[in-house]
Amino acid sequence: MDSGVHQFKSSPAFYLLRIFKLWYIHAYMDLMWVTRDLRNCLIYYLSDVILNIAGVTGTLLLAERFEGIGSWTKFQVVFMLGYGIVASGIVYTFFGYNISHISRRLGRGQLDHTLIQPQPIWMCLLTEGFNPFSSSAIPISGLGLMVWAGAKLSLTLSPGWLAMIALNLVASSAIMLSFSFLWGSLAFWAPRGAEEINSSTNRLMDGLRPFPLDGVAPVLLSSMLTVFPIGFVAWYPCRYLLGLDPRAWGGCITPVAAVIFVALTAFFFMRGLKHYGQTGSQRYLSFGHRR
Amino acid sequence: MRVNTLHKYWKTTAIAAAEYVGNNLLFLMDYLLRFLRVTVLLSIWRVILASKGEVSGMTLESVLTYTLISEVFSQQLAPRVRLDVAIWEGSIATRFLRPIGIFGQFTAEMVGRWIFGFCIFSLPLLLVAPILGVNPLPVSVEAAGLFVFSLALAISVGLALEFAYGALMVALEHNLYTLDMVRNAIGMVLSGALLPLALLPWGLGEIFAWLPFASMASAPLQIYTGTGDPFWLVSVQFGWSIILWPLAYGLWRKYREKLVSHGG
Amino acid sequence: MVKPDRSDTSASDIVVELSGVCKTFRQKQRSERLRDVFRNLFRPTVREVHALRNIDLRIHRGEIVAYAGPNGAGKSTTVKILSSLLVPDAGTARVLGMNTARDRIRYVGRIGVVFGQRTELWWDQPVAASFEWKRVVWDIPRDRYNRMLDFVKELMGLGEFFNSLTRELSLGQRMRADLGLVLMHEPEILFLDEPTIGVDVLAKRNILEFIKDLNRERHVTVMLTSHDMSELEQIAGRIVMINRGQIAFDGDFNRLRREFGARRRLLIETADRSPPDLKGADLIKSEAGRHEYIFDASQVKIPALLEQASIQAQILDVETHQASIDDVIADIYEKWQK
Repeated sequence: MDSGVHQFKSSPAFYLLRIFKLWYIHAYMDLMWVTRDLRNCLIYYLSDVILNIAGVTGTLLLAERFEGIGSWTKFQVVFMLGYGIVASGIVYTFFGYNISHISRRLGRGQLDHTLIQPQPIWMCLLTEGFNPFSSSAIPISGLGLMVWAGAKLSLTLSPGWLAMIALNLVASSAIMLSFSFLWGSLAFWAPRGAEEINSSTNRLMDGLRPFPLDGVAPVLLSSMLTVFPIGFVAWYPCRYLLGLDPRAWGGCITPVAAVIFVALTAFFFMRGLKHYGQTGSQRYLSFGHRR
Repeated sequence: MRVNTLHKYWKTTAIAAAEYVGNNLLFLMDYLLRFLRVTVLLSIWRVILASKGEVSGMTLESVLTYTLISEVFSQQLAPRVRLDVAIWEGSIATRFLRPIGIFGQFTAEMVGRWIFGFCIFSLPLLLVAPILGVNPLPVSVEAAGLFVFSLALAISVGLALEFAYGALMVALEHNLYTLDMVRNAIGMVLSGALLPLALLPWGLGEIFAWLPFASMASAPLQIYTGTGDPFWLVSVQFGWSIILWPLAYGLWRKYREKLVSHGG
Repeated sequence: MVKPDRSDTSASDIVVELSGVCKTFRQKQRSERLRDVFRNLFRPTVREVHALRNIDLRIHRGEIVAYAGPNGAGKSTTVKILSSLLVPDAGTARVLGMNTARDRIRYVGRIGVVFGQRTELWWDQPVAASFEWKRVVWDIPRDRYNRMLDFVKELMGLGEFFNSLTRELSLGQRMRADLGLVLMHEPEILFLDEPTIGVDVLAKRNILEFIKDLNRERHVTVMLTSHDMSELEQIAGRIVMINRGQIAFDGDFNRLRREFGARRRLLIETADRSPPDLKGADLIKSEAGRHEYIFDASQVKIPALLEQASIQAQILDVETHQASIDDVIADIYEKWQK
């Protein structure tokens, strides 16, 4: 019987069950947090909506003023903006509490809290930042923009197209997270110098994500699909989804890129962890831990 | 102000500058990412305004200069004294124990953080502007002089808003971090730092021009590029300075006790 | 270095075993001048800090061991290695028969760690939520969880604030909650790094009583660090002292006093207000005819001091005290600094 239990504990089913169990407890805690008082709750949701809409307002206004941006029509731009918000919403929903801002956790010496938990580190990182209630305003506001633009563009919603949009959204979110982790891992080697590096990468992401990148100089464009993969967050997948990229396999590029970025991230993060085991963190800040 | 007092502020500025540089070259990454951002934005403007000629009094050339100068002076056009961090950490209380003015020490630290950013990023960006196809020069010598004056007023308005906002948030007991993000996002659009107000649809730019945010960025940038009436722009900036500083002082006096006890 | 008291131990009951553990950190040195910032950036001076040098340490099941030393001696580095957070540069660290650097998940499920300056409680949640979180993450069966919850709630008096937000707790309450939390999975060994830092005397007493009860009733092995020596003396049967990365003493408190604590206090009350000048003793306080001296009992005998005093003044009363453990330790640290 013991060996049966042991076998189950190392099976994928056990891990899956455990992930759902952990998501449940974190969702529950998130609900408790967001509903702790009415005023905070309302301000929180309102701020989130304003924040996300304000982030794309500049592009919206430009698209309105010039009836589109470059070869993109106004509502194609709106669809792309909505897509970008939903993709980032997925990241914030699953990887809150500074998980997606990993340079802070590493730079502040807070990884110790994760290391003393009796579960794989990847499982902690996958589940500890789950906050579906406090982050729900983000994907919902993005979805609203997508639906509005979709209606104006008279998009035909076939099951295949919906599957592609779901696949690409997950891939875009994975690339966003990889981008944060790839750069954030530098904090393993330079805790103080790189503590806020994810603030810089997020600023870059938030600043450029809302723009269609057609016509951008090739050197810049190639960097934005490789070292700084912002192009995959909304622009590239939306080109395919809106029919601007006629290639039938165009919808697979973002998912394939996601696999590559996730593999690279895993490699660098593991290298960083190994280094952390040798040096630890010489600094500890309680600031921001589980707050 | 006595020399001794000035020395105290300078020492605060110097220590903040040294701290900002950090302990390795990774702090330079932020500048690399900012450089990438501005070059992409310039590219995007070229796409948007291609073959459009003059739009609302702005040519492609003036929009490119406007965008570049906005990035060069981005720290000054949106001054941040990190009041939110001091309040959240609770370290605000210890500021009151130092024998120098509270606004002065926050400002001195902010200037310290500016120094290296200006030397390492802003000046080089100005120098490489011609390579990026952007004319970095002001529209005239007079415009350059007026820009300096207007920039000083922009910083003044920005700081007054920063202090008033900090005190108000503590008074209202709101989540500083979230609201700060909201303020940044809204401020970016309303100030004209990202998009020239003249290019906004439905005449929105004319309304936004009356708000204090426009005095923080749009006014000096318009003067630099010669796309606005300097006298009117400086007058509005001056007006907001006169209104906002007494407000900031008043709020700090009123909520001083709450500020000190907040977070620590 | 003083040899440990116990050299002959059976291997089976050893739960902590450090053999030849070394750990070195590299620390950049920087000039404070603004004009040196670029030199600091490109060519900083690097100093090697030998946090641990060849540490050998064994702890037996059921022991309470105090781990003490001056600031920067290497206490926290040892606790971090024992908690699997750090890997030794050389040597091995085995706890409960496991290599701390390998098999982390299984290992941390059997130990409990409390860092006094940190909290494992979720800040914006009621204390109860952190306990429920712990049940899921540590995979504690429901019946065992309920049993332990009753136990720690009663023992630590958590009931009164169990549904309050962590951020609203006092430091003492937070510490009690953290200690309660760490026990929920019934760890076999506890590493407590300054568990009473900042708490008031009553809360401190309760925490110490709690640790003692836990050790007595459940045979939990405890290793704790603290700067409060009287606290360590109250609770621990054995003290291991570390200095500059090396074990400098390993034994019980009585032996520590015998070897290092020959200093005693002498209190003399005289008719005259001026204190007598005593050779071999230092006057530390004189007030209203009461004079307090400190002296090394291994060098100077009390009768000799009293004889000197009686020549100089009329003695009304005499008291002598053994130096407090804090005095003893302060003397040791002072000696090590020289």
